[in-house]
Amino acid sequence: MHNRELNSEKASADDNETAGSSINEELHFRRVSALEMGGAEAIERQHANGRLTVRERFSELTDADSFREVGTLGGSGEYDENNKLVRVTPAPYVAGMARVNGRPVAIGGEDFTVRGGTTFGAARRKGGQGGFIEDLAHYYKIPLVNLIDGAGGTVTSAKRRGYVAFPGVHGFERSVQLLGEVPVVSAVLGTAAGGPAGRAILSHFSVMVRGTSQIFAAGPPVVKRSLGRDIDKEELGGAATAVDKAGTIHNAADSEEEALDQIRQFLSYMPQNVWEMPPVVPCDDPVDRCEAALRDIVPEKRTQPYSMHDLINLVVDKGPVFEIQPTNGKSVITSLARLDGRPVGIVANNPKFYSGAMDASSAHKQIRFMELCDTFHIPLVFLVDVPGFMVGLKAEQEATLREGMRAVYVAGQLTVPTLTLVIRKCYGMAGMATCNKNDIDLKLSWPSGEWGSLPVEGGVAAAFRRDIANSADPKVREKELEAELRAYASPFRTAEAFAVEEIIDPSETRPILCEYIALAEGRLKASLGPKRKAGVSP
Amino acid sequence: MSITNVASEVIGSVWKVEMSVGDTVKVGDTIMILESMKMEIPVEAPVEGTLAELKVKPEDSVDEDQVLCTIES
Repeated sequence: MHNRELNSEKASADDNETAGSSINEELHFRRVSALEMGGAEAIERQHANGRLTVRERFSELTDADSFREVGTLGGSGEYDENNKLVRVTPAPYVAGMARVNGRPVAIGGEDFTVRGGTTFGAARRKGGQGGFIEDLAHYYKIPLVNLIDGAGGTVTSAKRRGYVAFPGVHGFERSVQLLGEVPVVSAVLGTAAGGPAGRAILSHFSVMVRGTSQIFAAGPPVVKRSLGRDIDKEELGGAATAVDKAGTIHNAADSEEEALDQIRQFLSYMPQNVWEMPPVVPCDDPVDRCEAALRDIVPEKRTQPYSMHDLINLVVDKGPVFEIQPTNGKSVITSLARLDGRPVGIVANNPKFYSGAMDASSAHKQIRFMELCDTFHIPLVFLVDVPGFMVGLKAEQEATLREGMRAVYVAGQLTVPTLTLVIRKCYGMAGMATCNKNDIDLKLSWPSGEWGSLPVEGGVAAAFRRDIANSADPKVREKELEAELRAYASPFRTAEAFAVEEIIDPSETRPILCEYIALAEGRLKASLGPKRKAGVSP
Repeated sequence: MSITNVASEVIGSVWKVEMSVGDTVKVGDTIMILESMKMEIPVEAPVEGTLAELKVKPEDSVDEDQVLCTIES
């Protein structure tokens, strides 16, 4: 911050020429003060903590020279006894319009170098819930980017006000409304609690930085006071807890630069709002590219896993695939990718993790991803290898059945076109969450596909318990029954009955998927706009 | 010299142990194979080094996050 002698009141009373230059000088001074943020020392501390300043973050994320600031002069002016401006401390929030990947976004972020990014009492809020920046996104129907580095209000605001505000004085109405209108993305780049933490959750995509950012409902001092437990903030709300374990935040990044790059990647698949189509990019990967490697990717031995990530990469357009929540709910993979340049959402079971079985966290993850794609008119491709819901005490304690049925419920309400391609297993109710029976319900399969209400193994033991127990050699009898029933499990028999619509050669997967996704375009264009919400989800 | 714990990502049991204490391991080498949800789940070395300790044997039950072995590098 620099000091200066300036009397704004006096300047306006002077003759025009002097007033003009003086006023320009004051504008310049106030703008320079804004750029200086919390001062050199505070900026140095921010850097020493491994963090960028809010303005450096804007430069890193947005297209060069595209930032058009709003509220530059918001702050606290200090005046001397003659009402001369001495200094300005800028508001602890920077906001405006900028471009990302050439498209406009509303962007705002706390400035931690000014009073730790705490809430700023002004005539109109610049950022935070209900702030100008949310209005900008709402009225101009452009994505909102929140760069979060603050803990919200403090108890000291009660002293300033003279009373304690009721929860929701700055409510989340607009934040909630935006989730049905425009893409909302948040990066947690410091320690977030309170309102900023709440907004990070009210986002379509969120990312945080391993080691330098934390998020929680309440920080270590509150935990100590409430539960008498000592815990440091990294353990309580670092990425290992908030991303890997809890799924509170979608993705983790190793640096702020990577976190901001993830935001750029996410937005590249999104339309500007729900009234527009997702952006199609030129694609030089041939749509008729057949991959012989896909014929051998599924091991013959049914108990051996394979890389579903490799399978996805062989099918979708060459280039980036953006995985959401790669470290949480790992039995399902949810990725944004492209087929002939058109954005698609991939939901693929991961046989390397619990055989691809759906547990509570993978159900949550699949539900959120399906809702994201449905909201923004991105067609879904299910690459299915799911043996059913996860079993066992832990799974039951986590309400796997309820969360899994919620996935079935949400899948049945999708209005975006869906394609189901069975790679190997498709069993039970978890299998139903990979189809939409309220739509055309087109189910394709590879020859390696197998399905049913439940797998023959285990299923036989339950259904023929007495038969097996009364036989001379129960183990042999169980194997006999399994072999007998497995003969009916051939996917070709189901195709004969047209109960699965087509069995395809795995090598032709890409051409076929590209064709259906191109076909989906007309239908998507005819159904743009906000999505209706109905009913009570389980 | 540092010790890396290799933990199980899944609930299941140990099916086969493919290496012995003292063996040199490279990143991605299969140290053992677990069985979970009727699937063989290879446990791969996350770092290069020497297999320092095996904490489980075939048929042992394992929990999520349970340390299975350690690698010294």
